[in-house]
Amino acid sequence: MSLQPKNRKIPAVFGRIFALAYRNYVFSIRNISAVMEVLFWPVIGIVSIGMMGSFLKVNEQMLAFLLTGAIMSGVLQVVQLDVAFGFLYDVWSKSLKQTLMSPVSSFEYVIGPWLFSMIKGTAAFVFLSLLSLWWFKFYLPPPFIFILSFGGVMLSGLIVGMSVIFFLVIFGSRIDVVAWMISVLMMLICGIYYPVTMLPSGVAFIAKLIPLTYFLEYFRTGYGFPLNFAHPLIKGYGLSFLYIAVLFFLIETALLRARKTGMIVRLSE
Amino acid sequence: MDETAVKAQGIIKTYRSGIFKKRETKALLGIDLEVRKGELFGILGPNGAGKTTFLNIIMGILGRDSGTLLILGEQIARSFPERLKMRMNMSSGNANFPWSLTVRENIIFYGMLYGMGGAKLSKKADELMEFVSLEQYKDRRFDELSTGNKQKLALAKSLINSPELLLLDEPTTGMDPDISAKIRAMIKDINKNRGITVLLTTHYMKEAEELCGRIAFIKGGAIRALGTKEELQTMVNARDMEEAFIELAAEE
Repeated sequence: MSLQPKNRKIPAVFGRIFALAYRNYVFSIRNISAVMEVLFWPVIGIVSIGMMGSFLKVNEQMLAFLLTGAIMSGVLQVVQLDVAFGFLYDVWSKSLKQTLMSPVSSFEYVIGPWLFSMIKGTAAFVFLSLLSLWWFKFYLPPPFIFILSFGGVMLSGLIVGMSVIFFLVIFGSRIDVVAWMISVLMMLICGIYYPVTMLPSGVAFIAKLIPLTYFLEYFRTGYGFPLNFAHPLIKGYGLSFLYIAVLFFLIETALLRARKTGMIVRLSE
Repeated sequence: MDETAVKAQGIIKTYRSGIFKKRETKALLGIDLEVRKGELFGILGPNGAGKTTFLNIIMGILGRDSGTLLILGEQIARSFPERLKMRMNMSSGNANFPWSLTVRENIIFYGMLYGMGGAKLSKKADELMEFVSLEQYKDRRFDELSTGNKQKLALAKSLINSPELLLLDEPTTGMDPDISAKIRAMIKDINKNRGITVLLTTHYMKEAEELCGRIAFIKGGAIRALGTKEELQTMVNARDMEEAFIELAAEE
């Protein structure tokens, strides 16, 4: 596997990306745990937040803000898990060797599952929004703000998923729990329900290095909250593309190392 | 025209593990080997001899510490050329594939990874399922297949890109004798009728004896003997390959 799509026939690249996206789709519809990731946990989150908001009698605007946070965290989790699952399915099926001996590039290997994850994430979003609308009279921020924040969450899911793949290639499948940990930790640091200015200064500094912080910050403006950072979209998207490029390089380097140490074989057994 | 399919010189491989406490295991101590195009070449040796490691290096799954490697006329440097991956394939004993995919979906999936698609891929998948007698299991999920059928799928998948060089790693491991015989017949057919160079590892003497023109005996990460089965038997004054294996395995 390598990150060199140049000199390739374009249809073959699309074919590989489609094949990898399709494989995630098949896994999703044939495995109950994958269905639970989309429906069960996000629904629990929405209902808990919604009920709590109703009990505390927060105003409609504040409840919508809290619910959108819960929906976005559900979408982030769905997207990042599917990117990570693209790799984990190979590890769990012990079929990683089969994939690595084929002419698949790192780019195709990551982008295929991500494309499917965006469809799945959007479906999760629509379902959770309709549920919130019906149960808690939820409403979204203005479309422009929402779309740009939603796009940022999709990119954040890709970043988390790629980070999980990197850690798995370095440390092996015994740390597959990071697939579920990183996004939850990131939501805590990036302030899914609060501005990062509320965090201790050291943690707030880390939050400023994470693109999701800026997307959530921008998203809050849709509910009338003031901005704590200048140009959150430029910072969020800029950092996202930088991290994605760095992560492609890191994954490629980790795979080379895994070929040297034999980790690739251990991940296939 | 170069008639060499694989030429390995001084291949050394060490496995490294542990992040804080480093551990090293020497797997190959300097393998020299040449496989000619069209040959059905066997690597025979006991478990843990380094057979699979050697195939994994040829396939580009593992990197080597040192040594030179020439495959189908291409010198292999640090990274494995992708155009070469299109010309070769590998099937492992105890092969595993994505569990949730059916037999047909698995063949189609890997075909697409090799850049194939459409009606051509569909036709090829049907042809391969027929070749390995898996048509009646085409809609069966991988995790519902018997060991023999899993192995047949591995063989079918390894032919999806019509490789010039096929690596078979212990293709009949853990199989009933009748299924092993069928797989061996398929391997012969692949080599003779499809003209594919086959490099096969095994620890079954019968398999090496029946299939391979030349055999390299590997033990402890090094080649201890190389030649036809008659030459190997003569080397250690053995009456048959079984005795030759025991003699070679016992040699220090």
